[in-house]
Amino acid sequence: MTRSKFSGIWKKIIQSKLFFPLLALGIILLFDLITVPGFFSFQVRNGNLYGSLIDIFRNASTVMLLAIGMTLVIATGGIDLSVGSIMAIAASVAALLMNPYVLGTDLSANTLKLMTDPHFTYQPLWVVILVTLIVAIICGLWNGLLVAYIRIQPMVATLILMIAGRGIAQLITNGVRIQIFYEPYAFIGQGWIILPFSLYLVAFMYVIAWLLTRRTAIGLFIESVGINFRSSFFSGIHEKKVKLLAYAFCGFCAGLAGLVASSNIKTSDAFNLGRDIELDAILAVVIGGTLMSGGRFSLLASLIGAVVIQAITTSMYAFGVPAFALQAIKSVVVIAVILLYSEQAQVLVRKFSAQKEAQP
Amino acid sequence: MMRKIGAFLSHNQKFVPLASTAALAFVAYGIGMVLYPGMRDPQVFLNIFRSNTSILISAVGMTFVIISGGIDLSVAGVWALTSVAAAALLRAGWNPWVVIPLMLLMGMALGAAMGSFITYLKVQPFIATLAGLWFARGMCFFISDDAIAIDNWAWRLLGQTRILIPGLAELAWWQGTNPPFITISVVVAFLVFIVAIYMAHYTRFGRTIYAIGGYNGANEQSARLMGLPVDRTKVLIYTFNGFCSALAGITLSLFVMSGHGFYAQGWELEVIAAVVIGGTMLTGGEGYVFGTLFGVLVLGITQVLIQFNGELSSWWSRIVTGGLTFIFIGIQSILLARKARRKQAKETKIPGAVLRRRMLVGGSAFVAVILVAILTANLVPGTDQPVGAERSAGCELQPYRQEQAASLKEDGAVVVYERNGGPGCIDELYAVYPDGRIIGDNGTSKAEKQVTPEEVDTLLAGISNYGWFTDEMYDTWHTPCGVCYGYYLTVVHDGQEKTVKGVDGGTDAPADYWQVISVVKGIIPAFPATAQ
Amino acid sequence: MSDKNTNDLLVSMRGMTKAFPGVQALENVDFDLRYGEIHALMGGNGAGKSTLIKILTGVERPDSGQITLAGQEVHVRSPQYAQSLGISTVYQEINLCPNLTVAENILIGREPMKFGRIDWKTLNAQAKEILLRVLEMDIEVTRTLGSYSVAIQQMVAIARALEIESAKVLILDEPTSSLSIHETEQLFTVMRRLKGKGMGIIFITHFIGQVYQISDRITVIRNGKLVGTYETASLPRMELITKMIGRSIAVLDEMSKTKVETSKHISKEKVLEAKEFGQTGEVEPFDLDLHAGEVLGLAGLMGSGRTEMVSLLFGLQTPDSGTLTIAGKKVEKFSPYNSIMHGLVLSPEDRKAAGIVDELTVRENIILALQAGLGWFKHLSTQKQYEIAEKYIQMLDIATPSADQPVKNLSGGNQQKVILARWLATNPQILILDEPTRGIDVGTKAEIQKLVLSLAEEGKACIFISSELEEVMRSSHRIAVLSDRRMVAEFGSEVDEQVIMQAMAGES
Repeated sequence: MTRSKFSGIWKKIIQSKLFFPLLALGIILLFDLITVPGFFSFQVRNGNLYGSLIDIFRNASTVMLLAIGMTLVIATGGIDLSVGSIMAIAASVAALLMNPYVLGTDLSANTLKLMTDPHFTYQPLWVVILVTLIVAIICGLWNGLLVAYIRIQPMVATLILMIAGRGIAQLITNGVRIQIFYEPYAFIGQGWIILPFSLYLVAFMYVIAWLLTRRTAIGLFIESVGINFRSSFFSGIHEKKVKLLAYAFCGFCAGLAGLVASSNIKTSDAFNLGRDIELDAILAVVIGGTLMSGGRFSLLASLIGAVVIQAITTSMYAFGVPAFALQAIKSVVVIAVILLYSEQAQVLVRKFSAQKEAQP
Repeated sequence: MMRKIGAFLSHNQKFVPLASTAALAFVAYGIGMVLYPGMRDPQVFLNIFRSNTSILISAVGMTFVIISGGIDLSVAGVWALTSVAAAALLRAGWNPWVVIPLMLLMGMALGAAMGSFITYLKVQPFIATLAGLWFARGMCFFISDDAIAIDNWAWRLLGQTRILIPGLAELAWWQGTNPPFITISVVVAFLVFIVAIYMAHYTRFGRTIYAIGGYNGANEQSARLMGLPVDRTKVLIYTFNGFCSALAGITLSLFVMSGHGFYAQGWELEVIAAVVIGGTMLTGGEGYVFGTLFGVLVLGITQVLIQFNGELSSWWSRIVTGGLTFIFIGIQSILLARKARRKQAKETKIPGAVLRRRMLVGGSAFVAVILVAILTANLVPGTDQPVGAERSAGCELQPYRQEQAASLKEDGAVVVYERNGGPGCIDELYAVYPDGRIIGDNGTSKAEKQVTPEEVDTLLAGISNYGWFTDEMYDTWHTPCGVCYGYYLTVVHDGQEKTVKGVDGGTDAPADYWQVISVVKGIIPAFPATAQ
Repeated sequence: MSDKNTNDLLVSMRGMTKAFPGVQALENVDFDLRYGEIHALMGGNGAGKSTLIKILTGVERPDSGQITLAGQEVHVRSPQYAQSLGISTVYQEINLCPNLTVAENILIGREPMKFGRIDWKTLNAQAKEILLRVLEMDIEVTRTLGSYSVAIQQMVAIARALEIESAKVLILDEPTSSLSIHETEQLFTVMRRLKGKGMGIIFITHFIGQVYQISDRITVIRNGKLVGTYETASLPRMELITKMIGRSIAVLDEMSKTKVETSKHISKEKVLEAKEFGQTGEVEPFDLDLHAGEVLGLAGLMGSGRTEMVSLLFGLQTPDSGTLTIAGKKVEKFSPYNSIMHGLVLSPEDRKAAGIVDELTVRENIILALQAGLGWFKHLSTQKQYEIAEKYIQMLDIATPSADQPVKNLSGGNQQKVILARWLATNPQILILDEPTRGIDVGTKAEIQKLVLSLAEEGKACIFISSELEEVMRSSHRIAVLSDRRMVAEFGSEVDEQVIMQAMAGES
């Protein structure tokens, strides 16, 4: 390969959106490889794959789901702080549909049955999932309505649902943490088909999102609206509808994430489920290179960003860092990553690659 | 006078959000006083300030941050960190008068660090302060995993000294009731508040803050070109907010006499909500510290109303906070849109009279909506408790019948359940036996029910499944509200025996406790005569 | 090169060079400013004049070169420092804070203090006095700046710039774009007075007429290089234009010939008909007819309602009265999308804020409106997109290395061409062009004007708005005049310039 061809490819790699997130991930995994013995080992049990690496991906699946929806919202120049609360609402709705007896005071045969029979549920699974996702979409539509039609600033508009949503989630279950006994539901978050089932959900959502944005004009419109919504409006784009779609889709993803998360702990915990997770989701998107001001986006890069965040967490645990220190260290690492993206660093990298090119 | 107010408002449109908040606060409190005689006690009003000093102090600092167009998510984390750090230092014997300034310096340092990241490294405020939040909370746990109680004379002095209000005090003595009081923290909060107003309107620093914010960063650009010290000011804004957060953390620790990393989770949003409800626009450039005071008041009054109502569960307060934020933002957006449209129309002026009428109609519609909301909230599914029942004339809790419970256990009962309190002021004791017999005794009559032994077994297995015999299930207690019950539940199963007590209406009890209680409730018989 | 000793000059810039990634903004440019002189700085967009000024005012640092101020060498490192040196600037975009009061805007950073706090009473009094003295303007200084019109805001900006103590150099960047003739005269009076006091004024503008009215010397910069500095009195207009565009203006002469020919192609059929069409507060109800193959010019002062009129036609606002029929079909719903469906398109006045989507590529910008018309699901394949983009890059001679270049990297003129390409791609019947040549170098201007006429030849109808009357006259078959939000007159192309100007001023 000639010098110039090499630097040409090198340039393409650097300028690709995936470069930095993959670099960040690579650094963290490298760190693990060196310091933690057996980090990359795999085990096969019952035909399924297990291992630390798999754990990272599995634990990251809720954030990955959120990141897909959040990417679109941020790309339109907005933000959605309410995804955690939407998760809680979704979980509450789902749990209630499977076990509404908790609200009553009648120890009917059903309650006893619930506690003992893992295949008993008030509503069939498909109804549970369908209704939950519809509720989640409605939440997303509410956000979209506030942002696109009433023109409330996204941070504020979604702040409202974020605050009120927790209350609503608790209202639905009357403050009770509903236990979920239904096994098939637990499969969503805990099931395994060679790989964790939740990863398949992530892949599925990614494909849907990709088709929606890259195989239709919607992706272009989202980017256009995020960069300059006035120009987009003047060009005939229905910028309101585009934003509405983005928020509704984000709500949908949050609903799905809520199902996965609550299935993981087999409870609907309206108080704690999804708390602070919106921050992780936003961070994933930022690490993935989408600017918070909106515009160009890359779903894949956001997914990688989500994995990076989880990798940091898991690596810390594997490394023996006690839980309480995790938050503090995470913040430092995150700042470091953000600085990597800052203009200063970009300029340095560009200068570096420009120098490489200058060499004859 | 209404005319004058109307004219003033239409001339100075910028005061409308502030005026609406103030109006809302007054109206809400007024309605409360009408509905709940207990609220007429001036101490209740003063208590709003006592329980919200931290929010007030923090919101004042946050107001500056938001006016400059930024945001600070780290505040509640710094509260917690300050409380833990102070508690730890005090426990280690440090001089409290050294601890306080040290904590303030710590807050300022953190604020300056975040401010520098935002200003010089161009990190987005959202992200920089988010990292700050994580860092602060994380640091809490470096210091201590559990809560640290504070047992320091200075802290007790500062936290519990009652400052009487001249005038009201005399009135109270004359009436023979307790004189209303506030604490030193409240005074400090007001001092901070006044200093902030001075800063905002009488210093170059304050005016520069207004110049920086708004218009999507265009103002910041302009300010720079005008030669204003933008960078220095931005860092100072976050430093000041760090100072306020630390101070708020100190007042928090004074209030609860302890420090813990878990305190104030999520409260940064309440602070932001207070600022927004107080009329400051999140886009920056506009807003008044004075309004923030009313924002905090509104949130505080909401809490009080919900408490007095007693019917609404505590999470309604979150919903109301969200709803209020929504309404106020809505107003802001509408006003903004109207301003933008008028800008396009350039010179066309809407005649003052028309404007005034519109303002009046809009304002009254708004107040009407709030009134309706509050009234509906009061009509929400209630017990037969008459509206206006005073909290103080609550139920005199009857002593728990522990000996009776013990003897029932000797007798062979596997489940002993006692429920005490509530609107009807009852005291019921139940026992479940392995052969399926269930008896109940409420002091006046008895009840009996028979279920199958298998059902009892399932019940016990289920309760055990909920983790009854693990560490997840523990005692909690606080003074119950007027309509709340207290519970005692003893379960015997598989050679183990455990009693756990709990009380309605709090969030401290383990969640599964309520699952178990509800299951047990379902199985017990009803009493014949007294229908609750 | 100046024939005077550097020490006699107020400002002397020697060998200024500055490069940005990808473009050499300035190359070894010399510029000087005498005491008591008004010096016009001219050159096309992207020619380098804004960069030169940014260096002088401390917004940018030069890669090399020397600046001397009143005989002393200086390194202007920040706008604050520039101000302290006595260099005051009034920018084209009003760089003030609309949310603060007029008084504050004038005196912020230098507020009068009393006992350590801002003395508002004195502040307001001082501001009022300044406005009165310097600009003979009497307005309420306690109102927010944003509540005033753009023209007044600009005056306030000027007042602030002038009030800074020991201001030696005043830089005015396109100050007259938003001013009426009367306000411009006021400004010029102030400028002459300042000149008399020995202040040096750098006046950046593209209004050639104004340059000849007020300036003593002219400096022309083209493509980052200095073309020359001349005494205004000894430089004929034609020569100035030649120096600016680098070639003769025979091209422009040719255009008037083209116009005469194409008028034969105007059909009798009305492609647009507006009856009693108006919106209260924006523009009074008007009647307008347009025929295929015709170019209608809209003339009027800033604020006369031109942009409001075409915004209404394009559906950006909903009208209060009247009807609009396009090619026989009545317009029921008003939105840009619907207008595009009807075949009516608008290239807006504010290219940057409402025209280009700067991060998107040339290709994406070009197909944007076409795609919007097709909806979400009828996606143009990437190949088709490239085809369309290439076609228009060729047709309009858009200077770009490739169709994948982000539009923000193009010069103003080429960006305008991209916007035109976008609309042409939708194959419209009616094109409304609002100030398509604003801020564009003379060469590209001519190209665009040629394009407009050729579109008319093809049978499309155009509405053409420009602040430069001669441009409107040169390019239109008919001219409609607006004044004070009303359409006041309509003329054929052979009308006298004076008549139009009278109509614009509101006199019949």
